[in-house]
Amino acid sequence: MSDMTPIMELQQLSIGYAGGKKEPLFSNISAQISKGMLIALFGRNGIGKSTLLRTMARLQPPTGGTAILLGRELPKWTPAQVARQIAFVPSHPIRTPRLSVADMVGAGRYGFTNWMGAQQQSDREAIARALEATSLTPLAHRDSSTLSDGELQRASIARSLAQETPLIFLDEPTAFLDLGNKYKTVYLLKELTQTAQKGILFTTHDLTLALQVCDTIWHMADDGFHALSPAQFIQSQCHPEWHIVPRGASGAH
Amino acid sequence: MSQTIRSYRPHYILLTILLALIFMAELVFGSVSIPISQLIHALLHPQDADFAAKILWSFRLPRATTALLAGAALSVCGVQMQTLFRNPLADPYVLGISSGAGLGVAFFVMGFSAGVFSAGISWIMNLGIAAAAWAGALTVSFVVTAAAKRLSSTMSLLILGIMIGSVGHALITMLQYVSSASALKMYVLWTLGSFNGVTGASLIIMATLIVAGILLSVYNIKDLNILLMGEVYAKSLGIQMNSIRRRIFISTALLAGSVTAFCGPIGFIGIAVPHLARMIFKNANHKILIPACALLGATMMLLADFASQLPGTQQVLPINTVAELLGIPVIILIIIQNRSHE
Repeated sequence: MSDMTPIMELQQLSIGYAGGKKEPLFSNISAQISKGMLIALFGRNGIGKSTLLRTMARLQPPTGGTAILLGRELPKWTPAQVARQIAFVPSHPIRTPRLSVADMVGAGRYGFTNWMGAQQQSDREAIARALEATSLTPLAHRDSSTLSDGELQRASIARSLAQETPLIFLDEPTAFLDLGNKYKTVYLLKELTQTAQKGILFTTHDLTLALQVCDTIWHMADDGFHALSPAQFIQSQCHPEWHIVPRGASGAH
Repeated sequence: MSQTIRSYRPHYILLTILLALIFMAELVFGSVSIPISQLIHALLHPQDADFAAKILWSFRLPRATTALLAGAALSVCGVQMQTLFRNPLADPYVLGISSGAGLGVAFFVMGFSAGVFSAGISWIMNLGIAAAAWAGALTVSFVVTAAAKRLSSTMSLLILGIMIGSVGHALITMLQYVSSASALKMYVLWTLGSFNGVTGASLIIMATLIVAGILLSVYNIKDLNILLMGEVYAKSLGIQMNSIRRRIFISTALLAGSVTAFCGPIGFIGIAVPHLARMIFKNANHKILIPACALLGATMMLLADFASQLPGTQQVLPINTVAELLGIPVIILIIIQNRSHE
């Protein structure tokens, strides 16, 4: 069961590109994310899903409104402080030849290690836990560039787990995965919200999958932003004049 | 991670032994061979006025030390550039440092030094060349670092570096076109590279700057490892891209700038050695790579210098040609190996 105290709250948030068009890309986003919630951010290409994710991770400034992280406005946090609360998984994980899976996952300990990046026992334990949670322990010493797409995505998720943050944001984690790996990835995220009480938000175009697994759908639609339960989302997609008419009673006679 | 470094201890020990052996060979062999016993005596008694001590302390030891430092500097610099730009062909000069240094030297040699040159005051000439090269390299580094504040994309910086390099080359060509034959020859000789003449104070200055550059690159290790995973990920961890870029540029200016100023633009080692280190150590972690590049770079450069002296003959080949002959096969080998992996 999720703790409903919000970790992050968006109030009338507007997003866009700094120095670009004056018109925001998307406006009036109000929603919140709590521990244990799995949220899918859905919307057509170019509507601003990744921009919203990046704005929420403080990777770019909002054009209006506020994002509040643990009671404090997001711009008042330093980037390093945000990294202690939000782990970000970019789209298209980069394959680095000759970098072991353990070293890749170990990058998540950046904020915990000294200037040389020397790992302590607590860091090694966190990495081991992250590898275990993503079933990658047997592959810890493998060259990460030789992993399959599904395994590499799991390694990226493991890296975000090693960061030990209450929130994880993922940009298109199921893109380019086959159906089996799409399910594996999203069910892994679901499991993490339940076992580790993470608040997880991910952008996706796999609506069917999101409706099956997620607690909430954030829909960036042409008529505005909607935070809905899967049932509410399905209802919202039905035209008001649609009726389920029994077969043979269509008035053909 | 510490276990990883420990597991590479045999590699480091073997490389250090190889480096020591080639360093010794540099001291022993040359146009005149010095027997080991005489060499040890000369090493222990630098004040002796005998032939061996003079050759060793005035020529061979400074030359070998310069080659060792230059190899380590260029290789450590190259690996940082390749990681920052995510480009396997990036080298220490990708930001236009060699062009800046070349332009400085071209101005000095072909522009202002006619009087000094004709007077034949060689030490002023050498010092002037180093100072002019430094001034050029630093100017370029300063321009690129200043531009880095405004350019958010690392790729734009790469293009800027290449453009600065092209402008430098164009200006050098103009100067070459109008300069005298003797000045032109002097400039061409500088571009061929040489470890001769870096002695005494020059060597101490060069060594100090290179050690500073290598220490800074060690400080950069943690961030370089994150850059392997892309800029967006690095930013999400709270890394300030401007800050890490600036630190890498300063390290580059210290390392490549010093080598270019004192020895000329030595090519290929800076590109080839990082690849060779990755191939031998089978690891992209900079904690492993930076010391590996320093050791391997020093070894390769000493080997190139040793070969360039054609031991047993009175001839000496330009170091750049030998470095290219050694470096290019390594790059080809890497390309073939990478192709077979695909």
